[in-house]
Amino acid sequence: MVPAYRSVFKDEAKLDITYVPSRLPHREAEMRLLREFFSFMLSTPEKMAQRVLIVGDVGTGKTALSQRFGADIVQQAKQQGLNLHYIHVNCRQYRGSLFFILHHAVSVFHPNFPKRGFSAEELLNIFLQILDEQNAHVILTLDEFENLIEKEGSEPVYKLTRLQETRLNKPQRISLICILKNVKAVESLDPSTRSTLQSNIIRLEKYSKEQLVDIISDRVQLAFKPLAVSEDTISLIAELAHSEGGNARFAIELLWRAGKYADAEDLGAVTPECVRKAVSSIYAITRKSDLASLSLHEKLFLLGMARFFKENDRAYASITEVEQAYAVVCEEFGVEPHTHTQLWKYLQVLSALGIIEKSVSSTGQRGRTTLICLPGIPAHELERELAMLLEKESG
Amino acid sequence: MLIMVNMQIETVLGNKLRIKILKILSKIRELNVTEIARRLGANHKTTMKHLKILENEGILQHKRFGRIRLYRFNENSVKAKAIQTLLETWENAENIR
Repeated sequence: MVPAYRSVFKDEAKLDITYVPSRLPHREAEMRLLREFFSFMLSTPEKMAQRVLIVGDVGTGKTALSQRFGADIVQQAKQQGLNLHYIHVNCRQYRGSLFFILHHAVSVFHPNFPKRGFSAEELLNIFLQILDEQNAHVILTLDEFENLIEKEGSEPVYKLTRLQETRLNKPQRISLICILKNVKAVESLDPSTRSTLQSNIIRLEKYSKEQLVDIISDRVQLAFKPLAVSEDTISLIAELAHSEGGNARFAIELLWRAGKYADAEDLGAVTPECVRKAVSSIYAITRKSDLASLSLHEKLFLLGMARFFKENDRAYASITEVEQAYAVVCEEFGVEPHTHTQLWKYLQVLSALGIIEKSVSSTGQRGRTTLICLPGIPAHELERELAMLLEKESG
Repeated sequence: MLIMVNMQIETVLGNKLRIKILKILSKIRELNVTEIARRLGANHKTTMKHLKILENEGILQHKRFGRIRLYRFNENSVKAKAIQTLLETWENAENIR
């Protein structure tokens, strides 16, 4: 009989890149600010048009923040009988072309609108005509805004912002949210265009490890069965995503991949080893040449760590634990173990190479101890690789 | 020359191209003249002639955006609703067969 398939997932779709959660942990202040900037939309939308820049590194929640805000404000507007649309366009997807971006916006109202026969400016006028006829207002979000600037320069932004101003005594229809990684991209615009954009900037800082833990925990609750992901696993993912520049998107992708590895091996739970496998599938942090360049005792020390993590399903080990594992390895290879001070130096080398990561524990332990984690490579793979290298050296 | 008085049903629906136009718009909802002509395999002038007949009968309506005219079924026309229902029912029955 084929055993019943048991998955760690409850709802995998909650880890999809397009999923926007109802709650965005640690972005409450930014969300309030965004709502404040657009509060007029729910009272006098025809009176003004807003322009807001959202700036932040990859995985800091720019797109999610904007989309969550968009969905919420549209719902609120609907309740108040206002015809408000939120249109989110990724400029890179539309090759940075104002024409294609506007065509997408027009398609929201007329899905089969022809793609040929007019300029971007004509299309913008058509868009405004549609909005006038339907008495509609739009928040147009230009994600990866750099692409539009790079391809078309100041002109499209100028048109988008200034064309409305030339419509005397007509209601304002289009507000803009421009999402970009670095505000420097805006500096290449001409002064008048720049001045219309730079007044409202929301900067999203990189997530801290603790903040990433909250974000991952939220997604775990939504996407995984109860008890399928331990705190240790969450902490390891957060650690890795933090070292990737506080990238929440990376964390969520890692969480999903680790879940897939758990399912593939029918483990019933996502272990730290699943995370290590997942991360090594995304990119190989540990290069073989790095391992080959290590000294004999650095290799033995690392082998001890690999064995520790392979045997103990944990994300972190204390320095005492890895020292003990190292002593066993030294006995096996018939060499005298080096002292604690020497091992401390090896730890710095391995950490500098990115093979291990170390942090200082301050909770749950007496005093302070160094915790070691193996982020980028599955323990069993590291063990195999080191065993091979050590065999070569001794042979 | 266009006949501007109301036509009999057999005249309005007794033309292959007009039926094709109705089938296209029933599926696509809204389309510009050039695209309708392309799908019909007819020239612009012929397509326009049939579109105008259907519009004159109140079955279709159009919206103008600069040079672009988008045609669709007339939302307020009982005739349009009846034809749409007929086409959908026909299509479903064909699929079942």
